[in-house]
Amino acid sequence: MIPLLLAAAALPPGPLQFRAEGMRYQPNERRILLDGDVHLDRQDLAVTSDHAVAETADPAKKAPPPPRGKKKKGNQPAQATLGGQEVERFTVDGKVHVVRGQRTADGEHGEMDVPQQTMILTGTPAQPPVVRDGQETLSGDRILMHLDSEDIDVTRPHVVLKRSLPVDDNQKQKPASPVRIEAQNLVVHKAARLAKFTDDVVVRRGDTVVKSPKMDAHYDQDGQLTLLQMRGGVDMRQGDRRAVGQSADYDAKARTLVLTGDPKVYDRGDVLFGDRIDLYLDSHEVKVDKAKGKLHPEIHKDEEAKLQ
Amino acid sequence: MSQDSVPEGTPDLSLRQVAFARLSEGRMVSRGTAARLDYRRSGGRMDADNGSAQVTPEPGTGLASFGWLRFSAPHVQGEITNRRGTAWGGVDLITQRGDRARTERAEYDGDVVRSNTKVTARGPGYDVQGNGLLARTDGSSISLVKGTRGALEMEAGK
Repeated sequence: MIPLLLAAAALPPGPLQFRAEGMRYQPNERRILLDGDVHLDRQDLAVTSDHAVAETADPAKKAPPPPRGKKKKGNQPAQATLGGQEVERFTVDGKVHVVRGQRTADGEHGEMDVPQQTMILTGTPAQPPVVRDGQETLSGDRILMHLDSEDIDVTRPHVVLKRSLPVDDNQKQKPASPVRIEAQNLVVHKAARLAKFTDDVVVRRGDTVVKSPKMDAHYDQDGQLTLLQMRGGVDMRQGDRRAVGQSADYDAKARTLVLTGDPKVYDRGDVLFGDRIDLYLDSHEVKVDKAKGKLHPEIHKDEEAKLQ
Repeated sequence: MSQDSVPEGTPDLSLRQVAFARLSEGRMVSRGTAARLDYRRSGGRMDADNGSAQVTPEPGTGLASFGWLRFSAPHVQGEITNRRGTAWGGVDLITQRGDRARTERAEYDGDVVRSNTKVTARGPGYDVQGNGLLARTDGSSISLVKGTRGALEMEAGK
């Protein structure tokens, strides 16, 4: 989903169209209220909700005009105007639905900051805001969408990367389970095809759980996950197996996790360490460069019996 | 019938090409014109053709930001004592700021103006339509009801 989030064009200038059951203009409060089946449309951005409030800037607080002789330059903050005043913020409430290109988002509350060109979407604990793109979904406590780009910031994201798992036609195996990611924060950068997860990152795939302070997810131009880079101390658990290291790279195509930086792998009573440890997540095979450690083959006799 | 008697319903006062002004504390708060104005003392009823009125809101009120407001309509009827009236035939509003609004018929009742006919309004940065209007005459609230749509002009991104 994240790669497709990166795909659409920046929001172009143009009029904001609206319709609703009712509209109330309150000049003293400098706001306009839209109620009932509210639709807001601007180029490729469409927002629907139960209610919307447009707040206009306080003319008294506006910056003074430029000195005489100096013309207004470009790159001015975006501004909407209503009733002769600049609309600086829209708030939408109740069944908020956002459509932009192929992306859709849902929440209970949204705030659109016109000068900053951002829209923040929140929900409820039971129903957090969600961004969808095809089959992929991203949710979190708070989703900030940049309207002048495709970048997205997510607080406490919950990501399901279904497209990160290409099915190998030759193996004819059933599709593998999706990668689920949780973290405190997520920032999606369109141009770099990069999603940066920070603070308490947890990656889950099947019985594998990997924890790390920060992680970068890289995508190709088709939107497929190519690489997960975890840094700052990595702790992986897969069944009875545990692996740790300072860094880890997950190759999505090979489905391997490569640990470096004093890596160690623990498997029941066994301990292995070396310069680099490759973990093959599907086959559970382990490859250790310059391996040292302690092995207790007798502990694994039950596994051999299972294999036979 | 004596020479002084008049048919029932005949106005007590009938004027042509009327101009009026209302002053308050030395300030002209409104002024207007009408091609014809009939007044009946009973109920304080008035009936006018091609009437227009211009109001200058007091500073600090909800309407102050519009500057003066000028209303006009082909037909106006009202009860002055009850502060009630109806304008129809195409009611227009223009403001000093550049707003323009139109509806086929509007009713004034105390502190509220309402219309059950389509309303169009446009001004600096907006262009709206509604299927009805409900507004407080102090300008604190202006509502388009029964369905509304429109456009807000937005400038280029940052």
